[in-house]
Amino acid sequence: MTTHDAKSPTRFRFLAAHLAGRSLDVTEALPGEVAHTDGRVVFVSAGRSVSEQRREVLVQSALVGAGSLDHRLVKMVRGRPNVARRYLALEGHRVLAELAPRISLAAALCPAGEPITSTADESLRVARGPKDVAPPPEWFGVIRPSRLLGAPAGGAGAETTTRDLRLEFGTTDIPESRDDADAEQGTASRILKLFENPLSSKSLSDFLNRLFGNSRTPSDGMAGGEMPVRSMRRVDRVGPNARPLPTALRFTADRAPSFAVGVGGALHPEWDVHKNRYRPDWCRVIDFPLPSAHDVSAAGVRHDEVLRRRLARLGLGPKVFRRRPDGDDLDIEAVLDLSVDLRSGHSPPEHIYLERRKLARNLGVLILLDASGSATESDPDGLSVHDHQRRAAATLALTLEELGDRVAVYGFRSQGRSAVHLPCIKPFGHRFGAGSRARLNQLQPAGYTRLGAGIRGAGEILKTGAGTPNRLLVVLSDGLPYDYGYEARYAEADARKALEELRTDGIACLCLSIGASTPTDALQRVFGSASHATAPALADLSPRMDELFLAALRELAAPKPRGFRPTRPRVCSGLQR
Amino acid sequence: MTSLHKPARSAAEGPFYRAVRNELEVFRAAARRGLPILLKGPTGCGKTRFVEAMAYELGRNLITVAGHEDLTSADLVGRFLLKGGETTWVDGPLTRAVREGAICYLDEVVEARQDTTVVIHPLADHRRELPVDRLGISLKAAPGFQLVISYNPGYQSVLKNIKESTRQRFVAIELGFQPVDIETEVVAHEAGIDVEPARALVRVADAIRKLDAAPLQEVASTRLLIMAGGLVAEGLSLRDAVESAIVRALSDDPDTVRALGELVDSILPMP
Repeated sequence: MTTHDAKSPTRFRFLAAHLAGRSLDVTEALPGEVAHTDGRVVFVSAGRSVSEQRREVLVQSALVGAGSLDHRLVKMVRGRPNVARRYLALEGHRVLAELAPRISLAAALCPAGEPITSTADESLRVARGPKDVAPPPEWFGVIRPSRLLGAPAGGAGAETTTRDLRLEFGTTDIPESRDDADAEQGTASRILKLFENPLSSKSLSDFLNRLFGNSRTPSDGMAGGEMPVRSMRRVDRVGPNARPLPTALRFTADRAPSFAVGVGGALHPEWDVHKNRYRPDWCRVIDFPLPSAHDVSAAGVRHDEVLRRRLARLGLGPKVFRRRPDGDDLDIEAVLDLSVDLRSGHSPPEHIYLERRKLARNLGVLILLDASGSATESDPDGLSVHDHQRRAAATLALTLEELGDRVAVYGFRSQGRSAVHLPCIKPFGHRFGAGSRARLNQLQPAGYTRLGAGIRGAGEILKTGAGTPNRLLVVLSDGLPYDYGYEARYAEADARKALEELRTDGIACLCLSIGASTPTDALQRVFGSASHATAPALADLSPRMDELFLAALRELAAPKPRGFRPTRPRVCSGLQR
Repeated sequence: MTSLHKPARSAAEGPFYRAVRNELEVFRAAARRGLPILLKGPTGCGKTRFVEAMAYELGRNLITVAGHEDLTSADLVGRFLLKGGETTWVDGPLTRAVREGAICYLDEVVEARQDTTVVIHPLADHRRELPVDRLGISLKAAPGFQLVISYNPGYQSVLKNIKESTRQRFVAIELGFQPVDIETEVVAHEAGIDVEPARALVRVADAIRKLDAAPLQEVASTRLLIMAGGLVAEGLSLRDAVESAIVRALSDDPDTVRALGELVDSILPMP
């Protein structure tokens, strides 16, 4: 939480919330404007003293709390500033007098004399009538019907609309970009069409079908009637749980096999939510060591004591300690030694108990850091989301390594499906030394976010590299997946699917969104199934990091879906047999 | 960690407790049947005091164990200790309560590990016995033994929760913060102050409890109010007492402290 200036009017926010009976923000109005509210925010006049601002907040939020600014009433004074002022004078007096017994500040500030009216409707009637009403004190501010009526009733309205608009692009009607044309939509079929005569039998195309072993293209030709039943058979539809396995890629660097220089890669599938199936071998994911100049000056990593203490409490396996000063049972061996010692005249300390504690951690963690261009938006302190995430990654990696866990740090970015890159900052085997730290700090955001592919690639590395029974993938991302042909619902579904797959494979996932302003429901859609948390900075999450880790690891205990067996769907037509 | 309260029957009055709903009747009925009780309620709303008052009324010893995450079953049941070259068995608080027929109060039992809480299962159903496997015996609970556990649903998280099989052995009593009038009386009585400052304190607490979406993890409890009242009784001004005992106790964030201070200032009587 950012610390505001002591004079900042946000200090009145609890007072305003209490008076209004709901959450209400307080901020300074533009210079020259008098105090007013739009029903969600109280604007106090800028540059006034604290006590003057306090009474402005008092009146405005009390009006909100008493319902004097309901749309129904405000509509009646719209465009009639004179009536609005008289209404404010009457209502302000009335609500302050009503609050006086409970709120001593109201009692102290309430204008002298009994209020003339007893309900808001009565105030409105008097305000519109001919009766003389004393003008409101200056600190009552004004009623701004246009702002009150303009503000949507239900909170963050504007954000919802833009998101709704974006969602409309996620439908199947959008033609896919050139790069992403679905390779499975049998290209040969267009040729077949030339041979087709709608009147005659389709023996020729049947013959060619046999020859090329191709099934009917779903989008070409008319649905149903025209085609013989057997050509409708779709054998590439396997069970709903089946998922294509990644296909490993082999590289040859000059005269050395790729694994020797630390380059790895695979073609990973991607989930197509619109067609409800996988696209096998869809994304080329490559991980490679990130070359960088060793600049030790850039190797500073912030320590986080809270995080360290919290994560140190994570014990994942029980362990028996011998010769403890206190414990559940006697350590017979130690008791024997002790009695021997005692009888031979020594008086050793009585460390003779067995203690069982959960200590064996056996945890391998891969920290996957979003290094895409979307993470460059910056906050008021000039730190971009990427900076926040990078620092968080460094602190987490350092802390976990100090605690004896196996840690790796990878970045990820993409440029279309054929170039999903996982630059390796620190592989499992290496120490998180100055070199790795400098590499991490020099990581520049670029490209896009094909989140699902990145997660699958990192999962693969974790499976092969961690070598521990407990494995955890920590994804640091702003939760906005975007790439060529990869956005909105499609991208969200793919990322969610990728996280589900990992958990099925026994890898826990924890998604942290640090410093990003992504709305919570968007995060819910992307990270939905996995544990996720969001905060302005890592330090805000540190106090409950142990719970987050545990919750992520604990999810693995949930039963796996039955009958699951990853199979490679083979594309073959029934006609071939 | 463990404490033994001998009810001071000679004292003029027992622990002060004002019932809000039917909790006294429920407790008495459960005590007659020897049924175990689960107390739910936020921090500082009077769970411990309620048990103390009931133990006094029923004339039984009260043995309190505070739960913590390293609490093992040996801490409850007992263990062998070495005394002068020989091992001797030392009863744990639970075993002692079972032998004596006392009320055993496990405070914040959720904090303890779940395998620990399982040892109370045979005590909490019709068997009413405590198997002590290290001694190879099974102790029948003496008449008058009663198990009371407390639990704060406010901390609820996936990790700290009572097992279903544990919960379903208990009669649940839910305590909350008392209505304004009763709480005022309690604060005035406990802190030894007049009703007026007590009412102001309760009003402050009420405002804090009703804050919408406040960044506070816990709200002002009755215990905090009594502490503030105590400071008032010692001659501090109401504002200073509230500032030290409530506002600063609830948050470390300077921003939140300032905002709470504004709220409190406007509610407390003007100096």
